[in-house]
Amino acid sequence: MENELFMNTEFPPPPPEFEPPSSSSAMMLNWALMDPTNPQQDPSFLWEKSTEQQQSIFDSALSSLVSSPTPSNSNFSGGCGGGVGGGGDGFIIRELIGKLGNIGNNHNISGEIYGTTTPMSRSASCYATPMSSPPPPPPPSASSNSQIMMNRTTPLTEFSADPGFAERAARFSCFGSRSFNGRTNSHLPINNNVVNNSGKLTRVSSTPALNGLVSPELAPMIPGGEFSRKRKSLPKGKPKENPISTASPSPSFSKTAEKKEDWSGKGSKSLEEKVGKRRRDEEEDNVDEEGGEGNKNNNTKPPEPPKDYIHVRARRGQATDSHSLAERVRREKIGERMKLLQDLVPGCNKVTGKALMLDEIINYVQSLQRQVEFLSMKLSSVNDTRLEFNVDALVSKDVVMIPSSNNNNRLHEEGLQSKSSSHHHHHHHQQQQLNNIYNNNSQLHPNNMMLQSPMNSLETSSLARSFTHLPTLTQFTDSISQYQMFSEEDLQSIVGMGVAQPNNESQHMKLEI
Amino acid sequence: MSFIKVLILKFSSLRTQTMASSDKTINTDVPEKDVFAIHFLQSLSNLTTQNPFNSPDTTNYRARKIKKAAYVSMAKAAGGSSRLWSRALLGRAAKENNKIVRFARRKRKVTWKISSKRRSDQRAPEATDRLRNLVPGGGTMETSKLMEETAHYIKCLSMQVKVMQCLVDGLSPK
Repeated sequence: MENELFMNTEFPPPPPEFEPPSSSSAMMLNWALMDPTNPQQDPSFLWEKSTEQQQSIFDSALSSLVSSPTPSNSNFSGGCGGGVGGGGDGFIIRELIGKLGNIGNNHNISGEIYGTTTPMSRSASCYATPMSSPPPPPPPSASSNSQIMMNRTTPLTEFSADPGFAERAARFSCFGSRSFNGRTNSHLPINNNVVNNSGKLTRVSSTPALNGLVSPELAPMIPGGEFSRKRKSLPKGKPKENPISTASPSPSFSKTAEKKEDWSGKGSKSLEEKVGKRRRDEEEDNVDEEGGEGNKNNNTKPPEPPKDYIHVRARRGQATDSHSLAERVRREKIGERMKLLQDLVPGCNKVTGKALMLDEIINYVQSLQRQVEFLSMKLSSVNDTRLEFNVDALVSKDVVMIPSSNNNNRLHEEGLQSKSSSHHHHHHHQQQQLNNIYNNNSQLHPNNMMLQSPMNSLETSSLARSFTHLPTLTQFTDSISQYQMFSEEDLQSIVGMGVAQPNNESQHMKLEI
Repeated sequence: MSFIKVLILKFSSLRTQTMASSDKTINTDVPEKDVFAIHFLQSLSNLTTQNPFNSPDTTNYRARKIKKAAYVSMAKAAGGSSRLWSRALLGRAAKENNKIVRFARRKRKVTWKISSKRRSDQRAPEATDRLRNLVPGGGTMETSKLMEETAHYIKCLSMQVKVMQCLVDGLSPK
């Protein structure tokens, strides 16, 4: 209230951002009037002085709260401190400004405000509020950010549709004369002056609000903790209040109006304390409601951002909700894979339609699997000895080809294997062959490791000459050819099988060598 | 000697190349045919050493053994546990051998089969399910993943068939 406003300006070192406001003429007049009257008229001034230090501490805490950059918080700084009063006042102005006279009245009123306990002063202050408050479309100064937000978020049409609201609001502000007058008077001039300094200004605006709220009568009942609790607890109340605020904002208002009407008849100080208490409760409710509405409005906005995360654009005539978008992405993926398969499966290009294509793919896979089965049958039915023999031979070849680190162990193993398997054979030829293979392996082994083997030069030369991937195999085929176990074609096919594919590699190697 | 070294180096570099190219979005690259051949012949040789051919095994049993060897070798050749279908094949084979093989656990364990059943509006659900049954490990794949795996599987299968065909052709008596 004005006392504290005054105190703010005079007693504590005035905040630098508050100093320059080059306050509006009305404000200046207010202060000018207050200056002489204050020490004499206000009985609670001394008390104020005592609580001044507390407040300063509390202020710093609150300002830190208020100045936090989150929009919800700033909303609430407006909501709690000035939200109802500020936003409501800003609105009330619109309704009442026509009824009021010129600013000059303000002097008298503000003078009377120091009487505070009289109902008349209350009503007067109620009018004083709109007078000193800025015109309905508030200037886009940073300090009035919260107010603007409130104005925007609150469905003004709803309130304006309610004919009794203006009156109620007026009463409301009248009851809030102690708290809200000070606040509105203090920070609205700044609005008028359009001092753009967001962080500091919010602080300034919030500080007087607090000062106003902790008016001499009400301060004992409102410990600082309550305020902080209030502000913190507001966000919790948001979702709860949402349905209420949407469903019936007017009933609660009418309720408060009734209460206020009852109270307005009585002017005793004790009553007013109670009233202040109740009013604060109501205020809390209202703030909650408005906060809820703000929240609701916020809720309506967010659905847009998530769409940014889905990087699919719906073409004309396509559904745009997230599920169908996701489904479309999935289908596109599947279509891509299908195309891939289409290239792989022969005869799939002619077929149109997903189902037919899938059928084709399935048939192809099945045919391949059957082929594997059939071939394994065939392999099993192939002459045992020959198969084993070949396997051993080829494995010996593989051992050379496999680049893994276990070459030497492998070689030994394979040699042993071939030896052990040779025990099962009865043919002399084969045994000889196997021994031959083993010899080859043993030759290769030093080849890998030591370089000095009697056969070394011969083998490398043969390798270089024939230049196939299967050095041992080629040698081996030579060795076999003596025994004439295999026809030339067979051997070639075996060799070709191994070599068929990596022709380009062999060329590479040729180049390297 | 130097030639062999070069050969080995060449192959190792080849392997690394294939490994490096395996982290594309849709990669159905398949190793060369000889890799399949090597794996298959190795498994065949293991088979012969485990069950010598003059032991009294029926042809059917041997055929089954060889088939299994073919699939396992194919799975090994196709990149071991990097592919879903090869994982499934190897896992199945290990199960049949009563061995417990544990791959590194995948992060996502969602049964897509259920969700696919729920999707009744799909054009060819029964065809997709049939494909699921055909591709090893397809029961737990998402449809797009199934397609990708199927593509890779088809490539590997055709390669394996070629290898086996070569072998059979080379070994078949005149």
